[in-house]
Amino acid sequence: MSLLSVKELTKSYDGTLAVDHVSFSLQEGTATALIGPNGSGKTTTLSMIAGLLKETEGSISRDFQSGVGFLPQYPQFFPWMTALEFTEMAAQISGVDNKKARKQSIKTLEFVGLSAAMNKKAGTFSGGMKQRLGLAQAIVHQPKLLLLDEPVSALDPTGRREIMNLLKSLQQDTTILYSTHILNDAEEMTDQLLFLKQGKLVEYGSLPEVKSRHAEPRIKLRFDTEEAAAIFEKRQLWQMDRDRNIIQIPFTDAGPTMQQVLAVLADNDTGIAGVEKQNASLEEIFLKVAGER
Amino acid sequence: MNQFGILMKKEWRENLRNYKLFWIPAVFILFGIMEPVSNYFLPQILDSMGNLPEGTVLEFPVPEPEQILSAVIGQYQLIGLLILTLAYMGTIAGERRNGTATLLYARPLSFRAYFLSKWAMASIIALLSVWLGLLAGYYYTYLLFVSIDLLNFVQFIATYSLWIIVVVSVVLAASAVSPNAGAAAAASLAVLFVSQIVDGLLGTYWTVSPLKLPAYAAAWFGGGPVASDFWWSAGISVLLIIGLVALGIYFSAKKAASTKV
Repeated sequence: MSLLSVKELTKSYDGTLAVDHVSFSLQEGTATALIGPNGSGKTTTLSMIAGLLKETEGSISRDFQSGVGFLPQYPQFFPWMTALEFTEMAAQISGVDNKKARKQSIKTLEFVGLSAAMNKKAGTFSGGMKQRLGLAQAIVHQPKLLLLDEPVSALDPTGRREIMNLLKSLQQDTTILYSTHILNDAEEMTDQLLFLKQGKLVEYGSLPEVKSRHAEPRIKLRFDTEEAAAIFEKRQLWQMDRDRNIIQIPFTDAGPTMQQVLAVLADNDTGIAGVEKQNASLEEIFLKVAGER
Repeated sequence: MNQFGILMKKEWRENLRNYKLFWIPAVFILFGIMEPVSNYFLPQILDSMGNLPEGTVLEFPVPEPEQILSAVIGQYQLIGLLILTLAYMGTIAGERRNGTATLLYARPLSFRAYFLSKWAMASIIALLSVWLGLLAGYYYTYLLFVSIDLLNFVQFIATYSLWIIVVVSVVLAASAVSPNAGAAAAASLAVLFVSQIVDGLLGTYWTVSPLKLPAYAAAWFGGGPVASDFWWSAGISVLLIIGLVALGIYFSAKKAASTKV
């Protein structure tokens, strides 16, 4: 069952298309990563789904009544309001009744690791704490759909890891749509990838699907030293690309099989350190898709 | 709690914690006290300047106590309006501009409750300031000169209060319409002062206008304004307030998309 379906979604500013006829749907309980270069329309798409922006064309249909949870890239808080006051107010505006709002706020703030700073004013918070508070206000009313705009981009590695772990534990009962340009994160937590480029959806599917579409399998040989790799390259047995002590052999019909490569390596003292069959990483796919005209 | 109640609580906290609840009344009280006190001490002040020739005798007419209170609202008409404008110019435009509104707008927010909570809190503080200021003026006038008829004073303060609500409505509507706080201040000051100038220059040709309210307020001390003129002006002011509030609600919803994400 799809929780949200977006059809031909378009946003234009004075004739420039920020989002250009984008269609996709989100299945309940899945996590979807929205990736793409800067200025590709990720934030605009999320804003339209969050109801902050009105679409120029197209439609967004939600299969649920409760509101969404939204975390902007740089959440701004009233500096004079404490974390608990803000979270409570956010829950109440989203229709949670008074008693529950307080209880849920405390629980949520504990969940995001802000229990000690609950009664401190948001104006005194560091970037990482603001991001946690932002997450807390996005999930306090237990929305079915959680929209996150670059949830971890501004954080240090420790903060990133912690937020990613929080998101993963939310994934069980929430549908998540998040934008990111940290591809490791996208690879770590995603059932579906949406690749936007200049407002257009250029790639769409599950992570294995997208990966197999751009697989470009190759055999990767790692040598002990650069000299060993250079000597092996000079033999010109097959088409090879060398980068220092790494040699990659494209895995095509014309190229060698794994057995052939292994046979050659076994026959000689080549100084081989590792052999691996590899597919294109998400980063390579990103660069390739982003670079295409 | 309904959304109006939730948002009123937020506005209350905001005005309390950024001290608007204290400093705006303080300024109004200061001007309320300054007028009778400086009138009272005027002879001594001139005396102490000391550059008058020996033997100069100055005779000051004792000011009518009503004139003093009218002079207080004369101050409020300039400095009071400026302060109210500067204090509330950013209440909507500023929240959109700095992005704090985004987290509210992404929720099922009632823009009617949103605007009304801001309008109500600004009105409460403005009225509180004017009442305390004029009461202080009333008290000092009583201490230093003579007492003023209480009924006339209540009529005076009630009439001026209606004008102050018109002012607050103009400022809040401007804040809902404008892209930023500065533009909101410029727009509301332009509306308030230009219309006052026009009324001052050409106002003899009409008697019914919200701009006449401060004058009619002062007129209660001198037998009261012409009843029909007063009631028509008051009625039109109420309609104007309703119109400005409707405009403010409409624009806070319409321009919600301009909030910084």
